[in-house]
Amino acid sequence: MEYKNVLTTCPYCGAGCNFYLQVLDGELVGILPCKSHPVSQGKLCIKGWNAGEFVTSDERLTKPLIRRNGSFTEASWQEVLDTIAKKVKEYKESYGPDSISVLSSAKCTNEENYLMMKFARAVLGTNNVDHCARLCHASTVVGLVQSFGSGAMTNSIRELEDAGCILVIGSNTAEQHPLIARYILRAKEKGAKLIVVDPRAITLTQFADHYLRLRPGTDVAVFNGLMNVILGEGLEDKEFINERTEGFEELKETVKRYTPERVEEITGISKDKLIAAARAYAKAERASIIYSMGITQHTTGVDNVSSSANLAMLTGNVGKTSTGINPLRGQNNVQGACDMGALPNVYSGYQNVIDEKAREKFGNAWKVKLPEKPGLTVVEMMNEAARGNIKAMYIMGENPMISDPDISHVKEGLKNLEFLVVQDIFLTETAQLADVVLPAASYAEKEGTFTSTERLVQMVRKAIEPPGESRSDWQIICDLAKVIGSKEFEYKSPAEIMDEIASLTPSYGGISYDRLRKGGLAWPCLSKEHPGTPYLYKEKFTRANDRGKLFGIEFKEPAELPDDEYPFILSTGRIIFHFHTGTMTRKTGLLNREVATGYVEISPKDAERLALANREFVSVQTRRGQIEIKALITERVSEGVIFIPFHFAECAANVLTNPALDPVAKIPEYKVCAAKIEKIKEIPR
Amino acid sequence: MLEKVRDLAKRWLEDKEVDVIFGLKEQDGYIAPYLFTDASELGNLTISTQCRLCYTCRPSKENILSLMQRKEPNTKIGVVARGCDERALIELAKRGQIDLGKVKIMGVACTQDEAKGCKCERAYPNNLVLGERVKGVSEDENVDALLNKSLPERLTFWRHELSKCIKCYGCRNVCPMCFCKDCKMEQEIYARTGWLPPEIPMFLFIRFYHVSERCIGCGECEKACPVDIPLLTIFKLLRRDVKDLFDYEAGLDAGQESPLLTTLDEAPMKEEVTSGV
Amino acid sequence: MVEFEPRIVGFCCNWCSYVGADLAGVSRIQYPPNLRIIRVMCSGRVEPEFVAKALSSGADGVLVLGCHIGDCHYMYGNHRTAKRMAILKRILGYLGVDPSRIRLEWVSASEGPRFAEVVTEFIKEMKNLGPNPLKEVKAC
Repeated sequence: MEYKNVLTTCPYCGAGCNFYLQVLDGELVGILPCKSHPVSQGKLCIKGWNAGEFVTSDERLTKPLIRRNGSFTEASWQEVLDTIAKKVKEYKESYGPDSISVLSSAKCTNEENYLMMKFARAVLGTNNVDHCARLCHASTVVGLVQSFGSGAMTNSIRELEDAGCILVIGSNTAEQHPLIARYILRAKEKGAKLIVVDPRAITLTQFADHYLRLRPGTDVAVFNGLMNVILGEGLEDKEFINERTEGFEELKETVKRYTPERVEEITGISKDKLIAAARAYAKAERASIIYSMGITQHTTGVDNVSSSANLAMLTGNVGKTSTGINPLRGQNNVQGACDMGALPNVYSGYQNVIDEKAREKFGNAWKVKLPEKPGLTVVEMMNEAARGNIKAMYIMGENPMISDPDISHVKEGLKNLEFLVVQDIFLTETAQLADVVLPAASYAEKEGTFTSTERLVQMVRKAIEPPGESRSDWQIICDLAKVIGSKEFEYKSPAEIMDEIASLTPSYGGISYDRLRKGGLAWPCLSKEHPGTPYLYKEKFTRANDRGKLFGIEFKEPAELPDDEYPFILSTGRIIFHFHTGTMTRKTGLLNREVATGYVEISPKDAERLALANREFVSVQTRRGQIEIKALITERVSEGVIFIPFHFAECAANVLTNPALDPVAKIPEYKVCAAKIEKIKEIPR
Repeated sequence: MLEKVRDLAKRWLEDKEVDVIFGLKEQDGYIAPYLFTDASELGNLTISTQCRLCYTCRPSKENILSLMQRKEPNTKIGVVARGCDERALIELAKRGQIDLGKVKIMGVACTQDEAKGCKCERAYPNNLVLGERVKGVSEDENVDALLNKSLPERLTFWRHELSKCIKCYGCRNVCPMCFCKDCKMEQEIYARTGWLPPEIPMFLFIRFYHVSERCIGCGECEKACPVDIPLLTIFKLLRRDVKDLFDYEAGLDAGQESPLLTTLDEAPMKEEVTSGV
Repeated sequence: MVEFEPRIVGFCCNWCSYVGADLAGVSRIQYPPNLRIIRVMCSGRVEPEFVAKALSSGADGVLVLGCHIGDCHYMYGNHRTAKRMAILKRILGYLGVDPSRIRLEWVSASEGPRFAEVVTEFIKEMKNLGPNPLKEVKAC
């Protein structure tokens, strides 16, 4: 009899908690928290506690599948790999390498993301590789790069406990990143002031000292208003502005026009509340900003993020402990997937594709000439697929059929493809449309690393064997590359892959498995002796002249505002009990018992006007589509706003959302679109 | 002390007093339970208050020892147990979850500092083999603070604490005494599901009542709470009440049945029960 | 100003206290109307969660009425009730709810007047105590 506990990293959110997988005779029987882990400290959220159940689900894919005559039949690995290799050759020769695109996975390990982007670039010959970060933090990557020089969380999670003031905007931290909310609450116990800015009365508002309830999509106005008050009362950090930033005059001019009265008109926040919050933030010795999807998923996403950077730099709250800008990344490895370069315009470490030196470096390492033109982003790929310019797609660990905006258009795009390969652990809604399905191993069945939102690279250890014939994603990619003819994919273990990554990526330079086994390392970790970097920008920013840039940013309305025909603002988001497209959480008993299906949150006054009862089924419509969904009457949403969590395939919120994109980051506007609600006569089955 | 534990474990394995040793293993600085099947592995055996041994596995909702014994009913398991581990084993045996006959307990006492760290009242097992009995912590400032509050103050305090709850079920998951297959905390009719914060006070009240006479005072619930709700305070008070009302302490005697499962004749209650309580 | 009328929930066991309540009714014994009776087969059926849920849902007081010790139709059901209520009251006390909002009484089938007396006295006590503070906890 054999019993052991294998320490691994949680596959759900970006907090990066660790827990032990209990393995009895090769079977996963339970989960134990790890008290010595720096972030989770022996505590887990409900998803983390149940992260073992979906791994052992009966619905796991165990054999490769090929679509023949309209339905799936099982096939051997050799057969599917040969089929894919043949198609790849065909499309490369007939239509060129850019007719193929690749979706990498923010759920897979760093090694796998690196291999996927290497495969796309070196083997397929295209830069059309992207992943779901496009849908969540693309604004962060662009916005913080233009403000600071690099686009990641500037400080670490535990430092939040010692902040004097925490501003949480666009983040339902207690539900999205529960273990990070723990540190916010601890800071409160120690006397910190909490400012919450959110259109919904989220869980954190009951602990907030200042709650600013804004109209969805008006974040730039809020930031400018706060800065207006700070400058007006002389609370800015003049020394920091002079020595470490540039562009102050431009910012000052713009911000002058956002008086508290004007901000009240735009956002609906009373001017007294705005002034009090601004004072609390500026007067604190160490103030921290936390944000998440609430400000990134807009057509003004980049503007929102840069505004937050403006506010932090204005008050000197960057470059020291317990301060900074802290974007909370949603997926367990979305930070890692971005770091590994699974993006159409950069290689690993954010080295640009159009930079000749970078292209040469990677080209020499991979022994191949690399394509020069930056590739397409996620939503663009779907558009091009619908138009017929993209013939084939290789999707790993993503479910665009539920996660992308305007699902009917996505379905059109995917169905229009001539060849679709999906590699996943379950037969997701996207996999059901595929021509070839490859069964992959879950996080408990392979070795690798995840990078959490605080840039901490942590080990993922193998606890059990993958079921049936499923294999680790890195092994599948290597085998596929070899069948197509590449000789550059001979790796004996993920440790070797990480060594290659470290050799090509300066910020991961000192990261190797023997160091990681003893604990996580926060990048930049430049050499074998470097201990990792908990907080950034201590002495200088990473922009060209070492200074942070302050921008004067004007407020712009969201792309689609409510009108007579569609009078509600529809916002979408997450809840604590389920995760993203529900592939993992909806196979977990306890989570399904907590929340079995979707609902639309509607305020009591609106419900009364429409004569709706609680839990009554209604039809929600937008210009993209309509769904039938249960209504939940609650004061959480204000009048005129409705909210739908996007996890539920049978009432998918993304049927309704607007695929309008931020012009630079190309992130869709999930948080604001116009909708209408109607009563329905018959309850759907 | 650690050397003595390892030596004794080695002797037990070699003399075939036990077939396997269930204890904590240390690897790369991380400590977790492990089943040592060979004397050569015992170099990694460690003792620590950082982790207990007998956790309930979910979703099967069986204790890990219970699962092991079901797989191999005839294997004799040597358990390197602290006071809290032993009490958990005894309470589980009382309820038919494990077979104590096939378990040999190597009782290890905690030091005074370790007892202070866990706020432990009884920091040693009955089957003490290694270490000295220490006095343990009988004063708890959280308990005293609660008892000094008036009723409305207590309600305000708990309302604040319970509104932080994020329904992780961590307190229940780490409790060795929580192994019900149909846990009431998960059911809609007792505590509303799908919303944060969970129904106050129902969600945690269910555990307060159900674990009241089983609580072994290990404090794992409080250590597992992400939002630092002072759960151990109420459980400590309930342990005192159970001792006061029924002269019963959980985890001491495997033959003594829980007072809530017995009649008043078998286990009388302190107060007069003629009419009105 | 509307006078506060407490809402009381009473769990009555089928064989003794419910019959006692019936007897009070048949005998036309007056008692205030604030009581809502829930019949259970035995007072031992009353889970402490029922009592806590009643308070959590807004009841100002909860009565649990069973057979006298030794007279339980199921032999020892009321023994369990006695022990459970003792622990329940302690928990409520620690949480900040006045434990006197719960009362356990033994009322036999022939004690019609006693039933009315117990209920009347309890309602008076609840009136003095005031509304249940748990009522202010907002639901969804």
